[in-house]
Amino acid sequence: MTIVPGKTEARRRLQPDRSGVLRQIWQHRADYAYVLPAIAVMLIVIAYPIYYTVELSFFKTPPGLQLRDKTFIGFDNYTTILTSDVFWKVTWNTVVWTLGSTFFSFVLGFGAALALHRDFIGRGVLRAILIIPWVISAVAASYIWKWIYHSDFGIIGAVLVGLGLADRPPNFIDNVSTVLPSLIVVNIWREFPFAMIMMMAGLQTVPEQLLSAAKVDGASAWQRFWHVTFPHLGNVSTVTILLLAVANFNSFIIPWIMTGGGPSNASHIWITHIYELAFGRQRWGVASAYSVLLFLMLMVLGYFYVRALAGNDRKEGSA
Amino acid sequence: MTRITLGGAVLRGTVSTALMVSLMSASALGAPPVDLSKWSPEYVRSIAGTQDFDTAADCAKVTPLDYKGRLTFWYQGIFEGDPDLLRQYYKDFFETFRKTYPNIQLEDQALTYNDLLDKFRTALLGNAAPMAIRLQILGGTEFASKGYLQPLKPEDVGYSTEDFWPGAMKAVTWDGVTYGIPTNNETMAFIWNADIFKRAGLDPEKAPATWDDVVKYSKQIHDKLGIAGYGLVARKNAGNTPYRFMPQLWAYGGGVFDEAAANPTYSDVELDSPQSKAALQASYDMYVRDKSVPVSALTNQQADNQPLFVAGQLGMMISHPSDYDVMRDLQKKATGSDKDKAQTVIDNMRYGLIPTGPDGKRAVVFGGSNIHILKPEYVEGGKVDEAAAKAIACMWASPEWSLKMAYAGSNPGNLNGFKTKWMKDRLDKIKFLDVTTSMLPYGIPFPALPQSPEIMNIIVPDMLQNALTGAMTVDQAADDAAKKVKDLMGGL
Repeated sequence: MTIVPGKTEARRRLQPDRSGVLRQIWQHRADYAYVLPAIAVMLIVIAYPIYYTVELSFFKTPPGLQLRDKTFIGFDNYTTILTSDVFWKVTWNTVVWTLGSTFFSFVLGFGAALALHRDFIGRGVLRAILIIPWVISAVAASYIWKWIYHSDFGIIGAVLVGLGLADRPPNFIDNVSTVLPSLIVVNIWREFPFAMIMMMAGLQTVPEQLLSAAKVDGASAWQRFWHVTFPHLGNVSTVTILLLAVANFNSFIIPWIMTGGGPSNASHIWITHIYELAFGRQRWGVASAYSVLLFLMLMVLGYFYVRALAGNDRKEGSA
Repeated sequence: MTRITLGGAVLRGTVSTALMVSLMSASALGAPPVDLSKWSPEYVRSIAGTQDFDTAADCAKVTPLDYKGRLTFWYQGIFEGDPDLLRQYYKDFFETFRKTYPNIQLEDQALTYNDLLDKFRTALLGNAAPMAIRLQILGGTEFASKGYLQPLKPEDVGYSTEDFWPGAMKAVTWDGVTYGIPTNNETMAFIWNADIFKRAGLDPEKAPATWDDVVKYSKQIHDKLGIAGYGLVARKNAGNTPYRFMPQLWAYGGGVFDEAAANPTYSDVELDSPQSKAALQASYDMYVRDKSVPVSALTNQQADNQPLFVAGQLGMMISHPSDYDVMRDLQKKATGSDKDKAQTVIDNMRYGLIPTGPDGKRAVVFGGSNIHILKPEYVEGGKVDEAAAKAIACMWASPEWSLKMAYAGSNPGNLNGFKTKWMKDRLDKIKFLDVTTSMLPYGIPFPALPQSPEIMNIIVPDMLQNALTGAMTVDQAADDAAKKVKDLMGGL
């Protein structure tokens, strides 16, 4: 008697005998097929540029020649960068810019979130108003702030002189000492609503019962915040701070439009300096080496971000 | 007060003559359409309106009017500091081109002076450049030297090399080959507010004779009236900065190289010479010592000086004749008492020659723009429609349109433009045009080197900013800039 295999048996025979990871991939082959186009696009627009940037960082690209006439120089571009005074100045600016912007944006955003978490008349309107800086185009905001800060006829200067608080308008962005703090203020103004929204979302997750129980037990407002609210916001705070740090590290528009990195390089941060090296001075090799270093820095921040997200997932899973 | 001695006068005359000869010396083989040796406001008036040109008929000889094709074209267009009048001429040009060549599908894109070079460089790296481009005079050599541009000379679009300023032709020549056609050429003038001069105790009808006088006048205006004297501009990556600082540098006898000489060799860097340092010192004295110029000079460009000037808050500046029209445009937008204040400024606007240096040397940047055609391999799609590209080059560089597109602020690149009826019309309508055309013989082109954009847009402004912010002393800033230029020329 001949046994004719059924459909299921036939499909089983067709399946290769794979185990472990391969078996799982095979089982999810349809999922992979769905994301394949996205992966292909990412390979083209992300992976290849990264590869090309890394490659270019090992080449000398004299400004008077085409890019195809580049010459291999090994790690010389990295040596040039690390031994340059400008690099250390720009790095210091980047650290001050990133930490200053991130810290104050977070603190202000957190404060605003706590204030708006309470129920009061006009809360919705206030929330909408506070979000405005974040939704305004960064380019438009930069031009507006440039006029607000203008060293000769800026609004702040006019008000201070008008009120008799200053003899002449303060010099915000044409002075090497004040330019970076002035730009950081603009950046904080633009970014704190993001922190506010994130923290407001986080505050929704704090169990109301715990807060009520703490209140019944006689805990003060500060104690309730410190012992109940704040511990619940650990992960969302970490994610918010990391996202702000990554965005600030990469922030180009405000410093470039308002000062172009000047005066005298006092407001150049890595990203604006890289742009000037590449597009203004055509040192593609050196700019690529800078970009590789920036990429590594961002990868480190990205690692912590992913870890924070994974921590969140684990907590939610265990809950 | 500077006293002019006989020796000084002779020296000044010699230097001016040398400059005029260098700029105007036409090819021995061809005769220019106008007599450059007679150049003066009276001569320009005498030739205006003496010849008619039929642009469509002339360009039809280059590209037939029924030619069917496609052209991608980028150009350095108008920006916020330009008058409305110029906007209208740009609009008219593209409308006329489309009517004249109805079968050429034109995809044009305007970019501002400060954005064009960066965008064009980026496009070239991706072989996505336009087929033709109109670039600022500073940019052409960089792209010609790298092999991106096709050889293109006036004869290719129906004109003669002698139809254009010799200085402009130098700027489109690299290694003996011509890579572009000048569309317009310009020299700026010195502008002052006579009312401010009067109130500050200065002769209201007399421009400062020397740059030392500018420093003195600026201080006097600031000390007496509490407003900015001179509109210094020291922003980085902005064309306005070299256009205002280089005349000062050259007048003091300095330079980046020897570009102010009759036959420049560009072999020695002179940014650290005592003369160059004296020019930088003058800016330092105005900004730091006397505080007599806008504090915002480090982030300003000319478009920022214009509102200051029309508000009566600035005594002197360097710019085009078009600034008169810009002031009128700004006045129209003003309200209340500001409108009257602006009118007072306009009534008191005066134009004069740019001041000389201590030795009587007068100089100004010989600016302008040129049209270039790209090699196919760098163009999106790998093809260049040469006939279409030549059609637009012919039309823009024609006597008619090279004049009209420079109506308010510049001068026609094609010398025949000075002979058209539109030039006559322009002389009647554009106030102070005489002054800027009188500055043309003093024009010095930027060094025709591929490194010039970086030198003029980054190194020179950096030098100014380093000195003016106190990040470096004047000597250190000049030495630092000279080293950067040497490194750059050495291929670093």
